[in-house]
Amino acid sequence: MTYLQLQHVTQRFDNGSEGLSEVTVDIEQGSMVFLTGHSGAGKSTLLKLLIGALVPTSGRVVVDGSDISRLGPRALPWYRRQLGIVLQDHNLLDDRSVFENVALPLRVTHLGTKEIGRRVRGALATVDLSDRGHLYPRHLSTGEQQRVGIARAVVNRPKIILADEPTGNLDPYLSRQVMALFHQFKDLGSTVLVASHDIDLIKDQGCRILHLSQGSLVQDTDGPKD
Amino acid sequence: MAAIKANRESSAQTRPNAWQPRRGRLRTWLADHRRVASETSLFISRRIVSSLLVWLMIGVALAMPGLLWMLQSNVQSLSQQWQGSTGLTVYMALGASEQLIEETATALEREPAVTRFQLTTPQQALDELLARSSESDLLQQAIAEVEANPLPASFGVILDSEQPYLALEALSRQLASRSGVDEVVVESTWLERLRDLSRLANRGGSALITMLLAAAVLVAFATIRLAIDARLAEIRVLALIGATRAQLRRPFLYLGSAFGLGGGMMAIVLMAVFLNQIEAPLESLLVSYGSDPELSAFTPQIILLVLTAGWLLGITGALLALIQRLGMKNSG
Repeated sequence: MTYLQLQHVTQRFDNGSEGLSEVTVDIEQGSMVFLTGHSGAGKSTLLKLLIGALVPTSGRVVVDGSDISRLGPRALPWYRRQLGIVLQDHNLLDDRSVFENVALPLRVTHLGTKEIGRRVRGALATVDLSDRGHLYPRHLSTGEQQRVGIARAVVNRPKIILADEPTGNLDPYLSRQVMALFHQFKDLGSTVLVASHDIDLIKDQGCRILHLSQGSLVQDTDGPKD
Repeated sequence: MAAIKANRESSAQTRPNAWQPRRGRLRTWLADHRRVASETSLFISRRIVSSLLVWLMIGVALAMPGLLWMLQSNVQSLSQQWQGSTGLTVYMALGASEQLIEETATALEREPAVTRFQLTTPQQALDELLARSSESDLLQQAIAEVEANPLPASFGVILDSEQPYLALEALSRQLASRSGVDEVVVESTWLERLRDLSRLANRGGSALITMLLAAAVLVAFATIRLAIDARLAEIRVLALIGATRAQLRRPFLYLGSAFGLGGGMMAIVLMAVFLNQIEAPLESLLVSYGSDPELSAFTPQIILLVLTAGWLLGITGALLALIQRLGMKNSG
């Protein structure tokens, strides 16, 4: 079942350059897809369109049957609560503990304290950081920080996980660990879209690969059928 | 993996209508307000010195209009209290004959500006003085030692309060030129000046109050703007994970409220200190004019007004900062 759709999406910026040009792509629910290409190919632009941070100049971005570029400012936050977003620079808050960083998405949904505690502990266990909850991000290694970012992305049980260069700061071993985590979430039904330029790592995953170049989709390689 | 699976299974029941706004439960909404209030207290307590400075700046900006307003309302009330005593006192020369006194009384009767008048004879004046000095043995003894009554006859004249001040001056000169009249004192002179000052304070005060209140808003605006800048990373993350506009604005509105209310309290303290300093000399000045003034200072209404004004200024500053930094004109 098609879950994410980009229909003839063009994204033109104020300076006249095109981030994406007439991109059309369908992504199945519960699949894991890689976006690849050089810097400036349009990977981050595509993810920003899916996050709702950009509105396409033309075309439609459809998620679960709804055109998200038409979501108003009131509905957009509710859409984003269904997403798990992992960024290369983690975006962790330095003045909050690991536990509080992971709990942030639950705080905005007004969950009760007990439920928040239960879910955060679960998410930290998933990324193997159960004993790091009381520490602050500055006390963690880069790899651990990245895993905290992943825990925060999945703690709200997202339907869609969008990751932008999630292994950019990690060594090969940690990168494979992170990919294994994404596979786990895919197996549990999340739709996972990972932007990365690490071709070697991507090839090992056996997933569908969308190759972007200068804003256009130039190659769509299917992974092995499950 | 088991933990994720357990989470996943329970989440399946909580996802209907995926991204349509839902009404938050009141209890959790209130809990969020409590959390933001607690975070705001923590934010302020961690920056207590700079917060005190902000309160002081807002307090000074609020105290000045507050004092002006209190001054103005007191002057107004005093002039109303003394409205009836506007008039003249005509002092006859010592030993003025009864005929001269009667002629002066007739002249006062004919004068249209005079509403009424009352003669105080030298003996009545002396009796009044003795009555007032009953507690001072020294004064009583001094009066007893004087052979002749040293006090003149006088007329207390109540004038039409609608008369312009210049007309009263002319009447006073005319009476002073009469034979047997020693001196005419225009009782309303200082009151007229006070009224003139009050009118001036009304006009200049409004402009000053506007400027000072604008300054208070600017202080709150600049402070909240800095707070927003310091928390931009947090705002970005919160927006990314689905915080609504209301949730993003709430900490800064609480901060604006805290600065405004704190500024209001500081203003009350400053006003109290100022009033305490001038209370004694002011009362002594008013008593010297023969009045027993009742000045209105800190009524509950004034305290409430200053606190409300402070809160509104803080909120206004915060809203302006939010609009300027985050473009949040709409509620959400």
